[in-house]
Amino acid sequence: MSARYSDIEIARLIVEQKPLPLDYLSRLQTRSKRGHKERELSVTGVNGSEFRIILRRSILNPFDFSAILAYLPPRSTQSFRLRRYNGRSHEHTNTLERVTFYDFHIHMATERYQDIGAREDAYAEPTDRFFAYSKAVECLLGDCNFTLLGTPQLKFFEVEQLTLF
Amino acid sequence: MKPEDIEREFREKVCSKLSLVPEGLDRFRVFTPFMFEDGDHLCIILKKSRDRWTLSDEGHTYMHLTYDLDEKDLQRGTRQKIIANTLAIFNVEDRDGELLLSVEDNSYGDALYTFIQGLLKIADVSYLSRERVRSTFLEDFRALVSEAVPPERRTFDWHDRQYDPQGIYTVDCRINGIARPLFVYALQNDDRTRDATIATLQFERWGLPFHLMGIFEDQETINRRVLARFSDVCEKQFSSLKINEDRIVRYIQEAIRS
Repeated sequence: MSARYSDIEIARLIVEQKPLPLDYLSRLQTRSKRGHKERELSVTGVNGSEFRIILRRSILNPFDFSAILAYLPPRSTQSFRLRRYNGRSHEHTNTLERVTFYDFHIHMATERYQDIGAREDAYAEPTDRFFAYSKAVECLLGDCNFTLLGTPQLKFFEVEQLTLF
Repeated sequence: MKPEDIEREFREKVCSKLSLVPEGLDRFRVFTPFMFEDGDHLCIILKKSRDRWTLSDEGHTYMHLTYDLDEKDLQRGTRQKIIANTLAIFNVEDRDGELLLSVEDNSYGDALYTFIQGLLKIADVSYLSRERVRSTFLEDFRALVSEAVPPERRTFDWHDRQYDPQGIYTVDCRINGIARPLFVYALQNDDRTRDATIATLQFERWGLPFHLMGIFEDQETINRRVLARFSDVCEKQFSSLKINEDRIVRYIQEAIRS
């Protein structure tokens, strides 16, 4: 049985402060796999929750990317995707709302989609907050309360460096 | 509703959900109603290269699967077999992670349906990565032995310092204070059982005195050959920890008293 979380628990996990190591930029530089680049970084929240940043970007299409915040439930082998920042490379349909769009979009874990047996992050909203991979990562880090170890706020301009291949 | 009306409804629905949008020279994005389980639609591009029209997923399908799976897992075991069969059946080419299907004889519709079927079948391997609750077997084993045996009479992860200073051949728990110490193995899978057999044979070669006991997480899941070899060297086995806790404790305590 997959881990299930209420909207309140999901919100609590998202706002939990997540200190990034000082060398987080180098540790988020993606590496080539077959057909795409990827990187992951594990982060422990201040309340002890285990999280993982999961980054994926296509080699062939710069608009095809994913920046994901996953929660790693204790005693489970499957991560729970709290947020996913996707590029404009495919349509998305919100099954419950019967809405389909083709745009940059943000997936969000919701209780109601878990209730119908869908993936936890099967709900998504179109966004104009990012148009490129590095901006999507920046939105993920900002929205999900990542901070630099020892400093209150992340210097988001640094994330631009993630565009380097 | 008459059958012909239903048929018309089907056609209208299917047709209205299929569209082709130009994206640069000799390149089109193909929109279809077919989705991954998270509501994201399949990524399909129709592009021309070297005077041939080809459908491509531009590496999206595998990339999508890696949200949950290690990329290496797609290249081994059951997932690899499903993917390899699918590629062969639907004549889809895997070009370094990009899935491609050439359009033959201007049969664009046939190619699209074949490509969609192939992509969906490959996407289905994500169901093989469904939740498996992490085993607490080793923790439970340690807790049980810790309860049954006083600390001074047990050593977890023991190895012989004289013959094996690097700890290559280990025992999950050595129970001492008896003429022949009791070596206890906690066995989760084939690899662990095989390692226990090898280590036991090595202990015999070194001439160590010991009794051997194996506790399986679920003996029924162990390969028959692996289990047969282990049975040859093991004196006492329990097929599972959970249903034998009382017997295991009793056996260990009798061994200590002896």
